[in-house]
Amino acid sequence: MAVRPASMSPSLPDNTGEIPGQRAPLVLGGLDYAGLTDRVCSIPEQPTAPPAWWATLALAAAGLAGFLCLIGYLVSTGIGVWGNNQPVAWAFDITNFVFWIGIGHAGTLISAILFLFRQNWRTSINRFAEAMTIFAVMCAGIFPAIHVGRPWLAYWMAPYPNQMGMWPNFRSPLLWDVFAVSTYALVSLMFWYVGMIPDLATLRDRARTRMRRILYGLFALGWTGSAAHWRRFECAYLLLAGLATPLVLSVHSVVSFDFATSQLPGWHTTIFPPYFVAGAVFGGFAMVLTLVIPARTFFGLQEVITLRHIENMNKVLLATGCIVGYAYGVELFIAWYSGSGFERFAFANRMGGPMAWAYWIMVGCNVVAPQLLWSKFCRTNLWVTLFVAMCVNVGMWFERFVIIVSSLSRDFVPSSWGGFSPTWVDFGMLAGSFGLFFTLFMLFVRYLPIVAMAEIKHVMPAGHAGDAGRAG
Amino acid sequence: MTHQPHNTQPGQDRHTLPFPVSPAIPAVAGGFLVAAVFLLSRGSADGMRRFWLAYVQAFAFVLSLSLGALFFVLIQHLTRAGWSVVVRRPAEILAANFGVLIVAFLPIAGTVAGGSGLLYRWARPLHVTQEAHARGSPLLPAARAAEPTEPPRAGGSAAQADGHDHDAHGGLDELTLKKRPWLNGPFFLARWAAYLAIWAVCGWFLLARSTEQDASGDPRLTLRLQYPSGAMTLLFGLTVTFAAFDLLMSLDAHWFSTIFGVYYFAGSVVGFLAVLILGLMLLQRLGLLRASVTVEHYHDLGKLLFAFVFFWGYIAFSQYMLIWYGNLPEETAWFARRGASTAEPNAWSAVALVLLLGHFVLPFAGLLSRHAKRSRAMLGGWAAWLLAMHWLDLYWLVMPEAPAAAWPPALAEIGCSAGLIGLFIAGLLRLASGRSLLAARDPRLPESLAFHNP
Repeated sequence: MAVRPASMSPSLPDNTGEIPGQRAPLVLGGLDYAGLTDRVCSIPEQPTAPPAWWATLALAAAGLAGFLCLIGYLVSTGIGVWGNNQPVAWAFDITNFVFWIGIGHAGTLISAILFLFRQNWRTSINRFAEAMTIFAVMCAGIFPAIHVGRPWLAYWMAPYPNQMGMWPNFRSPLLWDVFAVSTYALVSLMFWYVGMIPDLATLRDRARTRMRRILYGLFALGWTGSAAHWRRFECAYLLLAGLATPLVLSVHSVVSFDFATSQLPGWHTTIFPPYFVAGAVFGGFAMVLTLVIPARTFFGLQEVITLRHIENMNKVLLATGCIVGYAYGVELFIAWYSGSGFERFAFANRMGGPMAWAYWIMVGCNVVAPQLLWSKFCRTNLWVTLFVAMCVNVGMWFERFVIIVSSLSRDFVPSSWGGFSPTWVDFGMLAGSFGLFFTLFMLFVRYLPIVAMAEIKHVMPAGHAGDAGRAG
Repeated sequence: MTHQPHNTQPGQDRHTLPFPVSPAIPAVAGGFLVAAVFLLSRGSADGMRRFWLAYVQAFAFVLSLSLGALFFVLIQHLTRAGWSVVVRRPAEILAANFGVLIVAFLPIAGTVAGGSGLLYRWARPLHVTQEAHARGSPLLPAARAAEPTEPPRAGGSAAQADGHDHDAHGGLDELTLKKRPWLNGPFFLARWAAYLAIWAVCGWFLLARSTEQDASGDPRLTLRLQYPSGAMTLLFGLTVTFAAFDLLMSLDAHWFSTIFGVYYFAGSVVGFLAVLILGLMLLQRLGLLRASVTVEHYHDLGKLLFAFVFFWGYIAFSQYMLIWYGNLPEETAWFARRGASTAEPNAWSAVALVLLLGHFVLPFAGLLSRHAKRSRAMLGGWAAWLLAMHWLDLYWLVMPEAPAAAWPPALAEIGCSAGLIGLFIAGLLRLASGRSLLAARDPRLPESLAFHNP
């Protein structure tokens, strides 16, 4: 079947509804195996990239260059170039760290947990989301490394025998973070790569130039598609999914321990671990939607990433948004219920203090905006979806900002209260981290298979006759 | 398993209880047992306190089984699940069993309304505190130590150190009085009326529409079940959280933990899944559902049980570790009374360790393998074990509030639990009799029957 450009298939059948007992198809437009392969491979196989891609890459790379310059300025001058000071010693840096780590949660949730739940619709978006995860974790890792002030000594965080007789403090959740985040980064990378091997082999086999054949061939690890290879692949994938599932929970739980093990009002509360995990998945799905909606239009993938996929992601967004709203509510209730003057003050201060504007942006974006998604019209409307996803992107950044800055600036003793005002470097580095993220992302969409072809074929009707898109 | 693994002809299966069992027998026996324990406990105030705590623990246990079931059924509809159709009807019956739970709640409502404060200290009417105050009783020193801006100090007051929220004269301390807008009899009863009404309506709706489909086979009923399940899940989350705060957390009116609602929820789902697995095995032994429920469905239920064992461990660890690490006296007192302390272990320390091993470590290892989840003996064994652990978990949450060491379980605890389990079973029998135990005309039934794990 010939490949049709997206413009030639303007109206696809509606697969968002479902007659009970008949599963809706997950791939539309009559694509068969070869058609799917052509459609996905045509993206990295285009001889010249479209101008829009170059323009976006240039913009992102400029942001990245600015980011690198600012890191150089920061390291050479000292972290005084930021607005951080006592008592607000953590501000944009740790906010950005937690924000990006959170973004990095959707990928592994989709590839591991939704895999174990047999959510076949994940196959269209998992590659995309996993790539996003890895780039987000890279952005996240930079901030704690540079906020220590002497990043050239960052290796001291690793427990290795040394003549200084110096060991990291294993009782500190900040050190647990080092292990949690690095484990997560490694396992996510491995998961992404292992899942990509069959698709890399496809690109290798289709390669027209020697260079592409060598490079794709190198990373395809000699994949032939034999039954033995598939058997090992599926076993490895299942094991990685099992291993990655607790990691989805552990990373953001450990990040929450950074706050919750302290005694600071507004930080010390037991719901933080699951609340942070739900918030991370929430923020991650919002970012996946932000990226996937333009990408599917731009690359003509509407038959593969269908409206049903968008709607399902919106449902996850609504569910996790409700969990986040629940956590805000329970925190507030228990702050009152505890009877502790400090807890009550911390939340009164968040809602009505000098930074109330940030709190209400957070509530508006994270709790109010997603309520639109109760309506099917909103879930299947791309503009509404993008609006909600952008709200959540903003809201989740503000959530971390509110938690960090409002609590640090108002602790137990009024004489130690302080404020925080960001500098231009703070804003520049926040923007610059998006430059890094989008540079990597644009390279990914140009050179790698952005949809997991081999996995989608498993859930296409021809794969299992009469069994199309089970549990879609 | 003794039957065909992939039977696709449920028509040959038996789906209704083969013999008439009168629900009156377990109901009367259960009610009689609880009444007997009540009468035997009447001798002393301590005995009565223990009876009421044991009753709350038993109620929290049977309630959790229905709440876990409600969650399970809602999630099946919310996710348009196909695999679970053959096991959904028993879960729906468990989820609709709120009739007897409302009856079982009445004694708790009665004691709260009576204002004796035997069960919930905060339920005492305000005039008791005011009278105690007027007599010049030591409200002041004890209450000063409870002033939240000044955490209670060791030795500051004996009542405080014990975590008691009242003074020697029965008045409420200042910290408890601060929570009076929430912790008072009328509002508690109004909230519980709302929780029970919401759960009962949801459970009834899910069972009634599903049973209706047995007759009509109308696929639109599946959609009618699916549409409200999102809003119901939201209501479920809120009501279960506040129910856990009210029923269990407020037994010690000083203590608070934001994750406590999730903790009760996690244990509830473990308990429910264990009951569902054991119940299905029992039904199959009675000759029902033999061709419909296969090793594949047990395998999936085993996976869910494993996942929720892990989730419970994660939530329990989060709650304990954060409180231990923060080491604030107003939070640690609750764990210290439950023996979760290396500095001052007490009679409950062994129970805490049993929970750590028995509710998390051992079943985690035991249910990890595919083989264990597909073996009837092993899965059934772990389900029975985890059901007992869930009961013990609630025991450990509630009974350390008793005046004297309430370990090991004695007449009060065993009697109350056995009595309410009897009542619970009576409710199940009433709902199950004459009703198909298989959603026989669910449009996704073929998918469920043909289901096999990859």
